[in-house]
Amino acid sequence: MDEVLGALRPAPYTEEPVQFTGRGGDYFRIWIVNLLLTIVTLGIYSPWAKVRRLQYFYRHTELAGSSFDFHGKPLRILIGRAIALAMVLVYNIAVRMQSVWTLVVIAVIALIAPWLLRNSLRFRLYNTSWRGTRFHFRGSVGGAYRVFLLNGVLSVITLYLLAPFAHQRLKAWQHNNSYFGKTPFSFRAGVGDFYATYLLLALGIVVFTIVALMSGIGGMMGSLAKPGGMINPKAVFVTFAILWAAIIVIGLSIGSVFYATLTNLVWNNTSLGEHQIECRMSWPKLVWIAFSNFALVVVTLGFYSPWAMVRLYRFQAESFTLLRTSDLTEFVDAEPEAVGALGEEAASVFDFDIAL
Amino acid sequence: MTLEARYFDGRTTRLSTVDLSLADDHLVVAGDGIALRVPFAEIKVDEKLGRAARRLRFADGAFCEVSDLAALDILLASAGHRDGLVDRLQRHMKVALPAAVICIALAAATWRWGLPWLATIGAHHMPPAIARTLTDQTLRVLDRGQVLLPSKLTEDRQADITARYRALRLPEGGAPAGKLLFRESPALGANAFTLPDGTVILLDGLATGLGDDGEILAVLSHELGHAQEHHGLQLLLRSSAVGAFWTFYLGDVSQLLAAAPTVLMHAHYSRDLEQQADDFGAALLEANGMAPALLADALEKLATLHHGPAETSAYLASHPSTPDRIASLRSR
Repeated sequence: MDEVLGALRPAPYTEEPVQFTGRGGDYFRIWIVNLLLTIVTLGIYSPWAKVRRLQYFYRHTELAGSSFDFHGKPLRILIGRAIALAMVLVYNIAVRMQSVWTLVVIAVIALIAPWLLRNSLRFRLYNTSWRGTRFHFRGSVGGAYRVFLLNGVLSVITLYLLAPFAHQRLKAWQHNNSYFGKTPFSFRAGVGDFYATYLLLALGIVVFTIVALMSGIGGMMGSLAKPGGMINPKAVFVTFAILWAAIIVIGLSIGSVFYATLTNLVWNNTSLGEHQIECRMSWPKLVWIAFSNFALVVVTLGFYSPWAMVRLYRFQAESFTLLRTSDLTEFVDAEPEAVGALGEEAASVFDFDIAL
Repeated sequence: MTLEARYFDGRTTRLSTVDLSLADDHLVVAGDGIALRVPFAEIKVDEKLGRAARRLRFADGAFCEVSDLAALDILLASAGHRDGLVDRLQRHMKVALPAAVICIALAAATWRWGLPWLATIGAHHMPPAIARTLTDQTLRVLDRGQVLLPSKLTEDRQADITARYRALRLPEGGAPAGKLLFRESPALGANAFTLPDGTVILLDGLATGLGDDGEILAVLSHELGHAQEHHGLQLLLRSSAVGAFWTFYLGDVSQLLAAAPTVLMHAHYSRDLEQQADDFGAALLEANGMAPALLADALEKLATLHHGPAETSAYLASHPSTPDRIASLRSR
């Protein structure tokens, strides 16, 4: 009897929590020197600053006593940024022209975007390592067109009713094609899980809209309450101040709740070979960090941001635990590949957010 | 001297605990079945970023990870290794604090001189078609929103003022190019303003409040100064740039917040531009055989007119330090 139950019991996992050892004060020194160098070189130094930032955070992130590392080359990133900037210029000029060329340029960008996004995933993973073994992304170009272009168009024409489906397909494609060395990641969250999370988001947006509308209408009535319908500049200002405050408060809260819930959903359903990943990101804590960071960054005119980044990153990283089934020494690196930074830089310039 | 390190071969995640030491320009790696002697010159040493373990990388992809940073510094020094300049700069508060001060100074200089300079260049090179579109849109919004109402001045009076306005001769020759429009506005009171393409709007409150034609022309001359220097476009460019900067700076969370500083800092912007417009207006009056003091008289009258409820003082709020301006105009 005992043996039967023993066989049914889950594999004996050992908890290996992720730890972050960085400190705001240390990062401030690195941040400010690189910021100054970026300013005086009119931005040319920014790829070096970016590499240092990623290296600072990766190298202070520890799993089983060993830290992660970032291997991206600044010069590669600079070239990627130059090309991305040229694309933004072409795009902006095309949008201003408002002729048939506008459509042509937008169509071309829509057509190359999936390819760029796939390259972005490849670049990020390939340049990340732990104990000297690199991560890899092997999603095909065809897959990228399916998850970004086809599913994107589908969710737009169904008025975003298919957005949770598209999101689930994207995460499944992303995680099922990711590897640590030769060991594959796998993803098992279903479409239903995504719909449940999005329902939460939809409820949040309804509340958000109602509150924003009410504060807007209230302010408007206040500003028009004077006889003769005179516009009172002070009342208009107060109205906008209330509206902004409402949008920031609710936007930050919904954003944080959605981010935490979705991160938990995605990572609790991801495993690396035999090992399970556990993510317990607490949304009340994330809301608190988002608010206090925002307030402190504004009050200090941005000088709190190194501490804010360290705080947020520490919270995110330390939400993760690896449930390992071995001593983690069995991973073997795959063959090296040549991966350009164009995708990553173009994706960040065009503001595609694929962080989730 | 030996130093404890973790050795990885770069191909697997197997961890070996080793001891590092130096012997004749070579790094000796020993322990856990590893025995290596690598010429120190072939080793790449990572930057010292905060408290993170530093890695000594070998040409074949293998590396050693050292957590005892102070002991590693001693080993590196005795091997003749010197860290890069930026690497050394980003460790000390005595560098970080001056760097922060320089960043603030550069930002302030850009704000005070760089942005106005760029806005002036941009405004003077803006295609006239864009200025016209902006003017049409602004006017439409103000008319539809009933901020501006049709003028109650008689047509004769309007024609009279228009004729005198047209008769003004600009310093470089020719009559004012922009249109002169008449409107009534309870919200804006006694006021006159210039739109991006040089169109001047004269409000009934100002025309009747001043009464004297010379003073009305003085205010119009001042407005022509704004038109001449494309102040409307400059303001627009500056506030767009500031908005874009805040959006970038505060991140995408708060795109809507970005507009707030733009609005708040608007008043400060105007001071230099008002001075320019006053100078232009005074010179224009003189060139047309009128006294610059007329503008001072007009300002004085407006100040008394506006000495009322807060919401009607918009014109003066955007024209700061009125007594100074009056004094400056009188001393010409």
